[in-house]
Amino acid sequence: MKEKPINHAGAAATFIADKPHLDFHDARLWDMRQKRDAQMHLLPEWQELRSRASAIKEHALANLADYLEEFERNAKRNGIHVHWAADGTEHNRIVAEILAARGARTLIKSKSMVTEECDLRSYLAARGVTVTETDLGERIQQLDDQLPSHIVVPSVHKLTEDVARIFARHYGTDPNADDPHQLAEAQRLAARPVILHADAGMTGGNFFVAETGTFVVCTNEGNADLSATVPGVHIATIGIERVVPRMADLGVFIRLLSRSALGSPITQYTSHFRGPQDGSEMHVILVDNGRSARLGMDDFWTSLKCIRCGACMNTCPVYRRSGGLSYGAVYSGPIGAIIDPTFNERKYSTLPYASTLNGSCTNVCPVKINIHEQLFKWRQVLVEHHQMPFVKREIMHMAGKLMGQPKLYRAAIAGTETALGTLPRFALYNWLNPWGKNRELPEPVTETFHSWYRRNRPAAKPGKLDIAENTP
Amino acid sequence: MSARDTILATLRRNSPDPAAHPLPEPALLGESDASPERFTTNLIPMGGTMLDRRPDETLDQAIARRFPKPGLMICSLVPEATGTVQIEDLPTPQAAEPVDVTIVRAAFGIAETGSIFLSEAQLHLNALAHLTQHMVVLLDPAQITANMHTAYLRPELHTARYGVLMSGPSATADIQGVLIRGAQGVRSLSVCFTPR
Repeated sequence: MKEKPINHAGAAATFIADKPHLDFHDARLWDMRQKRDAQMHLLPEWQELRSRASAIKEHALANLADYLEEFERNAKRNGIHVHWAADGTEHNRIVAEILAARGARTLIKSKSMVTEECDLRSYLAARGVTVTETDLGERIQQLDDQLPSHIVVPSVHKLTEDVARIFARHYGTDPNADDPHQLAEAQRLAARPVILHADAGMTGGNFFVAETGTFVVCTNEGNADLSATVPGVHIATIGIERVVPRMADLGVFIRLLSRSALGSPITQYTSHFRGPQDGSEMHVILVDNGRSARLGMDDFWTSLKCIRCGACMNTCPVYRRSGGLSYGAVYSGPIGAIIDPTFNERKYSTLPYASTLNGSCTNVCPVKINIHEQLFKWRQVLVEHHQMPFVKREIMHMAGKLMGQPKLYRAAIAGTETALGTLPRFALYNWLNPWGKNRELPEPVTETFHSWYRRNRPAAKPGKLDIAENTP
Repeated sequence: MSARDTILATLRRNSPDPAAHPLPEPALLGESDASPERFTTNLIPMGGTMLDRRPDETLDQAIARRFPKPGLMICSLVPEATGTVQIEDLPTPQAAEPVDVTIVRAAFGIAETGSIFLSEAQLHLNALAHLTQHMVVLLDPAQITANMHTAYLRPELHTARYGVLMSGPSATADIQGVLIRGAQGVRSLSVCFTPR
């Protein structure tokens, strides 16, 4: 079945039209970016940390099969049940089987992007299991039936009044509550009894360590540790790319993760799980879901280095002004735009265009993924695969012809300048010119560079200019 | 083929050249100051506090001054404080739910982040650390390690089945970016330097 490409630009236009939400969203994410910068400046070794993090991840990915086997061996020795899931459906089936074998009907879980990938909640709901998200932002999104709009702060696109309205509907709180403290307390009070009586708990995992069979969960609210330690069953879902070889490697990544994400030196909780607590069981599900295929893509495999900090989203001018939901995908922002097309090339074919290619995402990435270069590369791939909107394709086609023929190009430029100066607005600003939707076209010039050059450098032959001479 | 074998085979087929991506030797980077002063300086921005204990006060008295409300359920996991309930009387997480204050000794602390380390060896009941409303943590100043790199050399992180670094109390900023200390885990975390 062919899915329609996500209309990112259309959704972004709707987002931009709502000024209070837009202004808060833009300012909040930029504040996170600035806090990240402040942390970076405190550490003279910051760039070395990034280089090491990148090298460790590339090494781990180049030896991924070996490290996964090493992890499995050690985790099993520690009493952890290790499962492997090729895709989301298999993952969900494994979770359902673990729950069914124990007669578990209620599951509490902390935030996990992999379970979003797998669409776990709807799978379990259809099988009579009640799933409760315990992270505040994720719970808000669950109650509002929306995807997380950001991988670290899932409900960052909402204002207090939105949360008050949702909590009033589900928790019976005051719909006009305007104090976030009051609403966070309502979540704490609503979650406690659910946590205490849940049949099973679930978390994600930020890292797992081949050397010791440990997995690590980095959170702030305490809900992940409650979900892991209160019920007698702990299931952790982790993407296979999250492995690091040694315990010592965690020092590098923990130092980078929260500083890059929120601009705090560390998350409030950094929890290490190496085996089940007394009287409990522990399961780890290693999820592939397209990752092993992505490893074979020469231009895109390094996207697997991602530690899901969200720094690229916070810094991205397009993301900040379009909101995560406009990407119509589990992963939004710059990192989403380079990994979503590997899940569905046609559906997410518009996302690599949600960028100005300014490179800020690459500059803030703690594991040095060349995100903006991959965005550009994806555009090339999508064109080769004919995944391009009609107008953009035709314009590029014409531009390609024009620029390939200097004489034709010059004639067209001259014509364009005349047109800019004489044509009425309706002829210049219409559906054939998406660029002009929110921008004014340039003022027509009196003379092109080419004619100026011909007039002032009569001796020089066009086409033999040594432009390298003056290039820094 | 099982999912496991399929995944491993695909990874081996698709893997970049391992020789081109060597593993760097572990390194100890950054500030190596492991002083209690640095620990305290970094605990405060994480929302943690130092327990105010006067020189002539017992730990029980200092805790009573910090939590003056009468009738609180206090669980002490350390010989230095008495508390009102014994850990042996809390056989399940559900039984630990009404605990107001828990007093525990951390295995070690990290000066870089003001973090303290707890595992099943200190907690006995892991869920207690998250169900209790408040936590008082005893920390031997001699057991402060400089930073995250040195922390991962500690044996506890290699041997504990559950090991948590807590850096201040639970927190959230999920509603309109407002930072709230005391989200779903402990509402407050106070550290008291107490040599062993």
